[in-house]
Amino acid sequence: MKPRRRRRWTRWAKRIASHVVLIIACIFAVFPIYFIVVTSLSTLPIAGITAHVLLPNPSQLTLSSYNTVLLHESPSYLSLLENSLIFSGSAAAIGLLLAAFTGFALSKFNFPGRRTFVYFILLISLFPSVVMIIPFYLMFAKLGLIDSYIGLIIPYSAGAVVFSGILVKNYMDSIPDDIEEAALIDGMSRTEAFFRVMIPLCLPVLGLAAFLAFMGPYTDYAYAHVFLTSSDKWTLALGLYNINSSDTGTQNYGLVTSFAIVMSLPIVAFYMVFQRYIIGGLTLGAVRG
Amino acid sequence: MSGITLQNITKRFKTETAVDDVSLSIQDGEFVVILGASGSGKTTILRIIAGLEVQTTGHVFIGDVLVDDYEPRDRNIAMVFQSYALYPHLSAYDNIAFGLRVRRIPREDDPDRDRHLTHQEIDGKVRGVSQMLGIAEMLQKRPSELSGGQRQRVALARAIVRDPEAFLLDEPLSNLDAKIRSNARIELKRLHQRLRQTFVFVTHDQTEAMTLGDRLAIVNHGRLLQCDTPERTLSHPLNQFVASFVGSPEMVFLEGNVESTGGGFTFVKGPVRIPVRGTGSPGAVTIGLRPWDIRVEKASTPGTLSGRVTGVERLGSSDQLFLDVASPPGASPTTPAAPVSLRALVRAYDFDVGDGVFVGFDPDRALFFNAEGGRLESMSISSPLP
Repeated sequence: MKPRRRRRWTRWAKRIASHVVLIIACIFAVFPIYFIVVTSLSTLPIAGITAHVLLPNPSQLTLSSYNTVLLHESPSYLSLLENSLIFSGSAAAIGLLLAAFTGFALSKFNFPGRRTFVYFILLISLFPSVVMIIPFYLMFAKLGLIDSYIGLIIPYSAGAVVFSGILVKNYMDSIPDDIEEAALIDGMSRTEAFFRVMIPLCLPVLGLAAFLAFMGPYTDYAYAHVFLTSSDKWTLALGLYNINSSDTGTQNYGLVTSFAIVMSLPIVAFYMVFQRYIIGGLTLGAVRG
Repeated sequence: MSGITLQNITKRFKTETAVDDVSLSIQDGEFVVILGASGSGKTTILRIIAGLEVQTTGHVFIGDVLVDDYEPRDRNIAMVFQSYALYPHLSAYDNIAFGLRVRRIPREDDPDRDRHLTHQEIDGKVRGVSQMLGIAEMLQKRPSELSGGQRQRVALARAIVRDPEAFLLDEPLSNLDAKIRSNARIELKRLHQRLRQTFVFVTHDQTEAMTLGDRLAIVNHGRLLQCDTPERTLSHPLNQFVASFVGSPEMVFLEGNVESTGGGFTFVKGPVRIPVRGTGSPGAVTIGLRPWDIRVEKASTPGTLSGRVTGVERLGSSDQLFLDVASPPGASPTTPAAPVSLRALVRAYDFDVGDGVFVGFDPDRALFFNAEGGRLESMSISSPLP
């Protein structure tokens, strides 16, 4: 009986220890979100004050910041959202298509310099994208693409291709050549085999790639700030900064946090729709076979 | 359906030659097995027929049509891959129907134009083939939900449903459990007898080759060494490689020398001396014997060598004996030599390790090879053993 008892004790101890660790980790993950939510429901002067955040008085909570952010800011939230969706959506669509082609070519075609090309792309992805802003700006200024939609969609898409191309390539490497060859024997051209066999098989990684390609431009501040001069093309990230640096000189935490929340809602929605694919993409390799 | 002709096919990858000047003519409706060890180039030959690899030199004909410049899809051949290569995202039904959906056939009213198959036509074909292969009940399942044997049937169904010119099979049985493999073998043979189509089957397993093939094409280092019926490859191998590769248990080889003795020649290997004829000059010669052609007896009879059983491998219905053969009884070798090792296939449980035995063989069954492994057709044993 004795050893059994001891084992039960150690099991309990382990369980408690792991729960303590997880609860602490959870606080770190959840508290900032909680902070933002509570602050967004508060107005000055109590917004952001620690005592209020830890023990909010329900009667002091109000939706007035949301009202301001959604309806009384200029440029309007809807205009900012529209621009963000245009930039992120285009970059995700174009980047994804090109990444699929790039990944397919790098994985399944034999051409001279293929390995070099793969290493070259990996090398490019090591540079922070901010490094490229100045050359891009000079280049696009000459081409007259500053302060235009297309001028920002190009670097966003390029960024998506660099990263997602490798992602797709690695995934396609794990798909046996046999399957594509079976499609060729079944009467398909390589193009048909690509669209009817390889693309459906790559949906998990393409979902992940789409999400990442969407997230990048959506949260980008540096490029948008440099490239977009007129406020009617501003994105949500620029709008957030604009609210933060209001001309009154005081930081209105209520406004900033409520803007942050409405800005993150589309991403949450996007994630929920593609969750199946994204999680599949993140756990690649773990569940093969 | 059509025959397939390979004309002086050579395939070189960067530095190595995978297929070396292979010419092979496969008859319409014939079942040809390409047999070789892994890396021998047998799969490359199949892929060249399919059009998945392009030969460096030489020509491929399907029927009478030169298909060197044809894409795989225009060759109208079907292939069953070792991995089956089913589309993982499609049900068994869709896997089988997939090729039919992209296929175009001439229109009845206007043969110059083509059309897709109708939904009913596809459904009819898929159900017909599935019925034939006994997979009608599992058509809605994904490949991951099927057993190995079922996947193999789906892969076969996908090939059959297209009614191709020829079937190419790349080790389709090697991923199956031993138990269902022999069943699958028989079913494949029956399928061929029923379809009467051209089958090209690649394998490294000689049992599969012997049981399935109308003819065996034995390949080594990219070269086609012999293409013959299973019986002929066993009884008349063209060289030592074929002799050792085909037949189980493997042929016994005695590597020795032919020496000039008096008026004739004698094969000498340790204490064993065998009078031979048909050679022009002395030199290194190898004698090959099938283990089942070697006679093992408990009592001495004329023409036997004395020996000892050093090992027994129980194969079930028969035993393979490992024997050390010493000098023939009565003979006194001038130089004592190490005993010669032989293997013999005998009835099960007749002998045990350590038994003293007498070994003989039918002189007509011995095959002779030169030092390069080439067959010496003219040589034979001139008289019974002393």
